[in-house]
Amino acid sequence: MNKLYVAVILLAIPTVGLGQKTIRGIVTNMANEPLYGATVQIAGTSNGTIADVSGNFELQNVDPKDKIVISYIGYQSDTLEVQFTSIMNIVLNEDSEKLDEVVVKGHSSTIDELQPMLNELISERELLKAACCNLSESFETNASVDVSFADAITGAKTIMMLGLDGRYVLISREGIPHVRGLNSRYGLTYVPGTWIQSIDVGKGAGTVINGFESMTGQINVEFKKPENSEKWYLNAYANSFGRVELNASHTTKISEKWSTAILLNSQYLGSENDGNDDGFMDIPKSRMLNFLNRYKYQGDRLESQIGIQYMKVNLAGGQLGFNFGDDLLSSSLYGYKNDEQRFEVFGKIGMVFPHRPYQSWGFQYSLSRQEFNGGAGKRLYKGNEITAYGNLIYQNIIGNTSHQYKTGVSFLYDGFNEHFISQLNRYIDSTFTRNESIPGIFYEYNYMPNDDLTLVAGIRTDFHNLYGIYFTPRLHLRYAFNEHFTIRASTGKGYRTPNAIMENSQILVSSRRLVIKEVPTPEIAWNLGGSVVTHLDINHKPLSIVADYFHTFFENQLIYDQDQSSSALVIYNLDGISFAHSFQVETQYEIYKNLNLKAAYKFYNVQMTTNGKLQQVPFISRDRFFLNLAYATKFEKWKADLTWNWNGKKRLPDTSDSPEGFQRSDFSPDFSLVNAQLSRGFRWGSIYLGGENILNFKQNHPIVDPENPFGDNFDASMVWGSVAGRGIYAGIRYKIK
Amino acid sequence: MKKLAIGIFLIMISYVVKAQVEKVDIKTSAICDMCKSTIERDLAFEKGVKFSNLDLDTKVITVEFNPKKTDADRIRKRITKIGYNADSMKRDLKAYEKLPACCKDGAHRDEH
Repeated sequence: MNKLYVAVILLAIPTVGLGQKTIRGIVTNMANEPLYGATVQIAGTSNGTIADVSGNFELQNVDPKDKIVISYIGYQSDTLEVQFTSIMNIVLNEDSEKLDEVVVKGHSSTIDELQPMLNELISERELLKAACCNLSESFETNASVDVSFADAITGAKTIMMLGLDGRYVLISREGIPHVRGLNSRYGLTYVPGTWIQSIDVGKGAGTVINGFESMTGQINVEFKKPENSEKWYLNAYANSFGRVELNASHTTKISEKWSTAILLNSQYLGSENDGNDDGFMDIPKSRMLNFLNRYKYQGDRLESQIGIQYMKVNLAGGQLGFNFGDDLLSSSLYGYKNDEQRFEVFGKIGMVFPHRPYQSWGFQYSLSRQEFNGGAGKRLYKGNEITAYGNLIYQNIIGNTSHQYKTGVSFLYDGFNEHFISQLNRYIDSTFTRNESIPGIFYEYNYMPNDDLTLVAGIRTDFHNLYGIYFTPRLHLRYAFNEHFTIRASTGKGYRTPNAIMENSQILVSSRRLVIKEVPTPEIAWNLGGSVVTHLDINHKPLSIVADYFHTFFENQLIYDQDQSSSALVIYNLDGISFAHSFQVETQYEIYKNLNLKAAYKFYNVQMTTNGKLQQVPFISRDRFFLNLAYATKFEKWKADLTWNWNGKKRLPDTSDSPEGFQRSDFSPDFSLVNAQLSRGFRWGSIYLGGENILNFKQNHPIVDPENPFGDNFDASMVWGSVAGRGIYAGIRYKIK
Repeated sequence: MKKLAIGIFLIMISYVVKAQVEKVDIKTSAICDMCKSTIERDLAFEKGVKFSNLDLDTKVITVEFNPKKTDADRIRKRITKIGYNADSMKRDLKAYEKLPACCKDGAHRDEH
């Protein structure tokens, strides 16, 4: 194997380019938003490229006499003379004749056509459809990611992809793994929605470059950038639960090459909401402060970014009357508390070679520390994690640009400390301490002979100090039969280390005994799948249909078994089989002038072996429906959105051994959640009014035995629906360019 | 109740449909697509303006507006605030300075 490696790397040693000239630039619209997917082509030739998420492009083999044509759907194409000396800043104008359809049809979330992976981009415009509030809620108008309440106490929302929990998704911020480790449960909630410029959702196995962790998909979040965000952005938000939020961002160009951005988010919820009259707050009270400052240097050959982020949050929930400063153990109330802090330094350094545009070096790094202090009732949780991450990527071609490769080395250090004390039933004191140190190497080969075919084959090997060698192969294939029909296939392996306590709020918010039968070992899963994307022309309007199927199966998984006993949570390594089949079909069409429809059906067959038998994983609907109607007038002066999510019945954990009256049925009923939003644009920004869960659907009695929170039957983890009812919100956005 | 709601809705619709619309043609100093887009976008958010379309060949913008809410001079004034001449009204120089390079006098000279 090693020999093969060496051979592959030797083969890949850079061949010298013959001084072909290269242009680089950035394509944006008038609002300075990057035009992801804009095509840049040399006039009269087939030499061309596509702008990336940030609007950047690079085009090789350009002659000084050439002209380039830049085009993007819904925008007027532009023809320009090439410029080698500096980065070309290209601004496209919206095509006013076609604008009416485009404002709506330029679907704010689109499948990236040339990507070898099934990637969906959620643009800022799409994000504005759900003005509320953080990353986990940003997916509410997206069909591929499901969002649900984690339990009836913590107010946390979790996501799901391909029928599996969000912890199996690699969630990164600008390419650096971000929501992982101890952060995996609540991390999404702490990413402010107003900071996000765009989100990229990839389904199935991901690239090897970003690590071995992605199993079911990857979600990459791009924050607002110093170089292309508005000078001032202010946002105020309030909702009917009593939450107020203030967001501000500011960008400054310090010099020709340096620019900086400051992002600020603060929120406060001081009132107690108990819509289901069980004496427990549906959402905890919260105070949160989130600060980010980043700098960017853009030189001719060198590009560098560095940023710091600080986040502090205090949550107080549980029984009505429990307050921020209260002590869990001495309080007579059942309280919930989480005091959390996170500090991070992160950055990137990139170097390009002016005469060899296909060649580049890049280094990404991040150093973070976070700590948790809290618990629920008489169960306390303390945890901290220190992470150091570095990833060095070298990119080049083999012979010509049809054969490209990326290779590099990475290092991950992760120091975990988790401490769980329960003074309920009987005293439990468990400490999990773990220091992971994982150097790795990777190589990814990209074969792209033309625009129709892309093959990406990647391998990486990581040397885990505790668990030995991780060998991670990944393969992606894309073939476009014509402009209307594209197929994709992918397969890959993934690993991750589970964090037994943090990933299970049910241990905290129930009186279940914690039974850890054996030492957790890394989770290992394979994913394979494929998709078909079609674009048809119906009545001169595009109709798109995306169908995908993915299968994930676990070689090992840490099982959180709620079925063995309703008074215990049993944790052990998979003994038997565990898999997920996921099928989704989604369609988009402009059904009426300015009115766009997006509809999806999802089927999940997710089973794992719990309590000795293979059964459906609890709390997952087998069938789901999604519908989004979006209306927008010219220049988005008025915008209206309606989203309907139908969730089929879900299996609930076995409670047949509970005393009568505390038993739950085997299945939940099916239910619908409807969100709507209306916004009005102005020259200076916009105002918006919206409602979440406007049908006011609530799960009756989300908590088992809420009268006796310290009793044996208390369980707030049996949540399958919405805990909080209808929420109305309003807000204002103010921008200065 | 339902009938009443539908009735009100129909009245609103007929009001919108019948709302008076006047048209005015204004000669501007726009020179490129960027100018066209800037002016049309800005006017879309101007009180009383229903629709606008700028013809780059003639540099004339046709604006449809509700005469009860605004008048032609107000629209001209607004165009000058964006940074463009409007008929005999001169552009606001501060706004003009802030326009992108391609929208300023002298840009595109080589093309003409």
